[in-house]
Amino acid sequence: MPHKCANCGREYRNGAKELLAGCAECGGKKFYFVPYVRRHEKKKEPEPEKEVPAVVPPRVEAEESPQTDAGVDKLESVRIVSPGTYELNISKMANSDERVVGIGRGDGSYIVDLLSMVKPKSGKKHKKSK
Amino acid sequence: MNILVQTRNRLSKFLLAFFKKKRSRIGIYGPPNAGKTTLANRIASDWTGETVGQVSEVPHETRRASRKTDITLTGANGSSITIDIVDTPGVTTKIDYKDFLEYGITKEDAITRAREATEGVAEAMHWLREDIDGVIYMLDSTEDPFLQVNIMMIGIIESRKLPVLIVANKIDLPDAAPQRIRNAFPQHPVIQISCKEGKNVEDLYEKMVDHFG
Repeated sequence: MPHKCANCGREYRNGAKELLAGCAECGGKKFYFVPYVRRHEKKKEPEPEKEVPAVVPPRVEAEESPQTDAGVDKLESVRIVSPGTYELNISKMANSDERVVGIGRGDGSYIVDLLSMVKPKSGKKHKKSK
Repeated sequence: MNILVQTRNRLSKFLLAFFKKKRSRIGIYGPPNAGKTTLANRIASDWTGETVGQVSEVPHETRRASRKTDITLTGANGSSITIDIVDTPGVTTKIDYKDFLEYGITKEDAITRAREATEGVAEAMHWLREDIDGVIYMLDSTEDPFLQVNIMMIGIIESRKLPVLIVANKIDLPDAAPQRIRNAFPQHPVIQISCKEGKNVEDLYEKMVDHFG
């Protein structure tokens, strides 16, 4: 259930038709992606070895949904969970150009794109063009 | 007579607005553990008697930029500059909490430290983008200066047209090779010092007055 309605908070699994048609509860068409890694870590901590493909989240998580806007307060804009599996922190990407890439499943490893942090503010360009 | 005084006042105000020097804000940048905080402390204690931050051998001890304002440096020829010194967190492109574990830090603390260090890099870059008038780029003479992060940072500083002084620190150590730093950045003045022992620090002050004045 990685997709959460931005309006009422109802969750939908990957590929659910409501994601296109609109939330069954409120009709909203905006959905947060609840990062799979966090949910996976919380629920499956005792057996970290077991790999579950990211596209098929376990059904058990349907009833309990303690996550609220997971990923919003995260530091990284992109997390490389494993080669080929990425999590994008849309809210961070929308708010700033700074790119911090998280590596692996847990926190604590980052790659920083320095150039993205020194780009001049877009406002300056406007000033010049006037 | 009154008109004369008024005119004189106006003229001096007008000239001051043009020629009065703004206090320069000098950022101390460099990779982690190069001795940035040690230098900031030395400058602050030599000229104001106070210190800026805590020093440690664990990388990323400084995770927030800290500032010491109104430091007036006077050169041998009597000229002086007033600056604010900004001690910034070490800039690096990769931060891994595992690197801290070898210093006896617990995993939880190492993860927190890694997060704060990453935020620190962002803060350092933010200062560079907005509020810095000159840069002291600090390097450890015992390390290879041809690191991607150093080349990139010097490039960024050059592109922002900021005056830069490169400091080759830790020359008191036996495997120090400050010449490598000179070879790496021939386009910028390089001053070799030992911040810890205070060696050649006077030369650095002299150069700062000259370069940032």
